[in-house]
Amino acid sequence: MRKGPTTLLFAAILAIGIFSIRAFNKEPLYHSQSYVFGTLVDISIYGETDERAKLLANHVFQDFQHLHDQLHAWKPITDSHPSELGILNNAFAQGKQPVTISSQLANMLTDTTQLSVKSQGLFNPAIGHLISTWGFQRDEFSAVNIDAEKIKSLVKANPRMTDIVIQNNTAYSSNPDVKLDLGGYAKGYALDMAADYLRKQQVKNALINIGGNIIAIGQHGAKPWRVGIQHPRKPAAIATLDLNDGWAIGTSGDYQRYFTLNGKRYCHIIDPNTGYPVQHTQAVTVLIPPQTNAGVLSDVASKPIFIAAAENKSKAASIFGIQYFMVIDQQSNIFVTKALAQKLNWVDPDVKKDSHVKLITLP
Amino acid sequence: MHIQTTADDHRIAKLAAFAIALHMVEAVIPSPLPGVKPGIANIVTLYVLLQYGFTTAAWVSILRVFASSLLLGQFLSPTFALSLSGALLSLGALALAVHLPKRYFSAVTLSILAAFAHIAGQLIMVRLWLIPHASVAYLIPIFAVAALFFGVINGIITNKLLYNKTLNSQTNPDTELNKSTENAK
Amino acid sequence: MLKKIAMLSLLRSPKTAIQHLLIGDWLTIIFSTILVIYLFQTLWSHQQATKVQIRLGDKVYATYSLNLQQTIHVHGPIGDAEIHIAQGKVRFAKSPCHNQYCVHQGWLTHAGQAAICLPNQISLELIGEEKPYDSLNY
Repeated sequence: MRKGPTTLLFAAILAIGIFSIRAFNKEPLYHSQSYVFGTLVDISIYGETDERAKLLANHVFQDFQHLHDQLHAWKPITDSHPSELGILNNAFAQGKQPVTISSQLANMLTDTTQLSVKSQGLFNPAIGHLISTWGFQRDEFSAVNIDAEKIKSLVKANPRMTDIVIQNNTAYSSNPDVKLDLGGYAKGYALDMAADYLRKQQVKNALINIGGNIIAIGQHGAKPWRVGIQHPRKPAAIATLDLNDGWAIGTSGDYQRYFTLNGKRYCHIIDPNTGYPVQHTQAVTVLIPPQTNAGVLSDVASKPIFIAAAENKSKAASIFGIQYFMVIDQQSNIFVTKALAQKLNWVDPDVKKDSHVKLITLP
Repeated sequence: MHIQTTADDHRIAKLAAFAIALHMVEAVIPSPLPGVKPGIANIVTLYVLLQYGFTTAAWVSILRVFASSLLLGQFLSPTFALSLSGALLSLGALALAVHLPKRYFSAVTLSILAAFAHIAGQLIMVRLWLIPHASVAYLIPIFAVAALFFGVINGIITNKLLYNKTLNSQTNPDTELNKSTENAK
Repeated sequence: MLKKIAMLSLLRSPKTAIQHLLIGDWLTIIFSTILVIYLFQTLWSHQQATKVQIRLGDKVYATYSLNLQQTIHVHGPIGDAEIHIAQGKVRFAKSPCHNQYCVHQGWLTHAGQAAICLPNQISLELIGEEKPYDSLNY
């Protein structure tokens, strides 16, 4: 009779112990957000201790901050200290005197020049003046008075990446109207940089989101990372898909940076050929399979597709070999390549109901 | 005017005083979490219940709630409301539980049931009246664990006291003896 | 006096204390333990919190996203409470109540967590949304 109660007590305590551990166990997912690089950066790390994950994430945030300081197209680091890019842009405007630049920036310029040429100028980071004229080189956007003449002359000036001569870590521009704005490239670059860093640190599972561009490492535990794609006109996701190891996704849209004037929307993606913001497309999403510069492509490759006219969009996609992409035009019609359609899970109730999603056949 | 007091009244007063004293002691000791307390005054309630019956226990308990709140300056405050709702539901549970066979259930069971009823009364009061729709879900597990833990301890102490009292009365046969509990073995 | 002696003797011999426990008591203890475990499992989820809902009295005063750092003042029946929202967490920073229980709760970080200031009738509750995705592409 004495032994009975004691063993029962032991059993009870053991049971409590086991259940408590299960009950209190949360998954090893570290999640941190920071407003750096002029945008919201979101890092999820799975399978590391909180302390280690925090260290890693902070390192990444710091790297981004340095990058931001280097590359900001219009904000100086301090009032008297412009960014490296700012200095370069000033030099370009003033003449052909070569300026010393860091090797990192030199590499970026070479890279972006190649991409720009490949896209036949649809991706053009040299049109900083145009972007500024439209008021998009500010933190907040409001309607601007459209100076048609100025825009015309800026387009005529034809600033191109090929106007820039890079030699021995110096650069100058033969065209004073070249102003660099790496907005459509920097996030992708940062994504690749962060992914490389984390992989080198033996991180097996992470998800990095820089201003909406996402790259995945490993999985979310037993299942793949899952990302949502923003609906261009609703504060919700239009679809979700699994992002496997090394895959990256990027979207160009007219809903984040824009202003309305006389009922018309003017977004921040400018057609270099016309000098005017694109108005026929709401959003373009590209999905990039694993490769060295998956991040860069997720940023850059959506722009030419966005800018190209409807009948030329497939061609624009083939420039960078994009097989997985989606276009949502101004009338909210959805076009998806078959390859991407197979991966998408539609969550928007209107899309699910009508399923007026048109499949794009690639040439 | 002269109020007649009985021996019962005196007993109730003495016991209530003791309960109040214990409550005071507890009020001074800081608790890690709001609402989580050992509730040592409940030992008195249990002891009284098993020695002198439910009515006496109810008196002692309610008197304790009122007098303590007056002494602590919490009369008619939300704390008082919580104290009262907890005490009432607790007494309700005891009224039922006291009918459990003494052969199998000692004061420990009563204490645990009373403790759970107590926190239930308090959480219901918060949810329905003080801050309606507030999320008490998060607090329930914490209170429940405290109720179980302190319920067991208070019950064990009560058992010991009753056991000693039985021993005492066995050696002193002319001491008043009501419902004593056979707790040994 | 009796009680003091009882408690002291209890400390000296926990075994005797347990000897007093009857079968019914053990049943109660086991069932209660199971109940407690069940409560923890069902009520303590560890979801990421995305918003905080502030209630004043019986109405929802406001809902705030936890993404923006801000300080909110809520005027309750006994005075002004100051609530701090930082990245993903919230707490009572200042409260006019006597016991300061709400302030001592500290930072709330997980969905389902709550801090309540009874005298001032203010409650903070963290809400987590079961998002169908880990991150949003935009």
